[in-house]
Amino acid sequence: MTTKEIVEKLGLKALNEYEEREITGVFVSDMISDVMAGAKSGNLWLTIQTHKSIVSAANLVDSSAIIISGGKEVPKETADLASKYMIAVLLSDLTTFELVGKLYKLGLGQ
Amino acid sequence: MTGCQHRWDMDNIKFGFLVFERCFHCHDLRTFFTENAPPAIGDEYREGDCHWYCAENAQTFSFDLRCTECGHIETFHDLMGLLHCTGCIPECRIDIMQKTLEAEKTWLVVAFGFLPREEGKPYPEEKIDILTDYFNQRRDTSRSRIKVVSYDLINDISMCRGELIHDIGMLSEEKVTNRKSLF
Repeated sequence: MTTKEIVEKLGLKALNEYEEREITGVFVSDMISDVMAGAKSGNLWLTIQTHKSIVSAANLVDSSAIIISGGKEVPKETADLASKYMIAVLLSDLTTFELVGKLYKLGLGQ
Repeated sequence: MTGCQHRWDMDNIKFGFLVFERCFHCHDLRTFFTENAPPAIGDEYREGDCHWYCAENAQTFSFDLRCTECGHIETFHDLMGLLHCTGCIPECRIDIMQKTLEAEKTWLVVAFGFLPREEGKPYPEEKIDILTDYFNQRRDTSRSRIKVVSYDLINDISMCRGELIHDIGMLSEEKVTNRKSLF
């Protein structure tokens, strides 16, 4: 499954221009250290964090996209940095719990 | 081990805290990693002529890299963290290098050793190369690459407003230009 397919299936709002990627799995965490230690290349990262450091971490671990749950407002500098790296920052009004359920139903696990 | 084309994997991961301490008296900065509960920001204690206070702390982790082919372990207990350059010092060597590499879709990351370090002493080059290899081995390098460099290339560390890729200041909306240097 690709980032574009996930955007369509979950009704996500893309905040920036991004490169289409194959999604290799899902990683859920609000801690950057956790992501750097555990996320795999191509993973979709679910978080409630919006600070631009999430983009630096996502780029370092080669995340395919970041989904920010809970209808959070995202600073422009976060979206701008994501555009530079062409990593999708995707927004959802759903909670992380609801999103995980939907992603699991779509067949995306770890 | 000789001749092995190492394939690195993270090993011996320990979650803990990165602590920044500064001395009221001499203004020296020192940082350390602890797996125990960190001091609260502002906590103070005396040590000889120095009067240290906790200036910042953040959740972080330490790790080693282990070669999955030959089992060789490279320790990174001396790595404080990795920093994203914000281009805060226009003539900084890091920023100049970053702008050149960006054209090749290579993203620059700055490796920091714990402070203080002997003045001008870089983070060991062989470890820098291993970190670069590790981050590239785990990514799709047909899209982009990572280049790790040592923090001694920063022109003036006390002016650096780069962002450590840590759980630090995650709720801050402060602009880079308004931010105080961590160092």
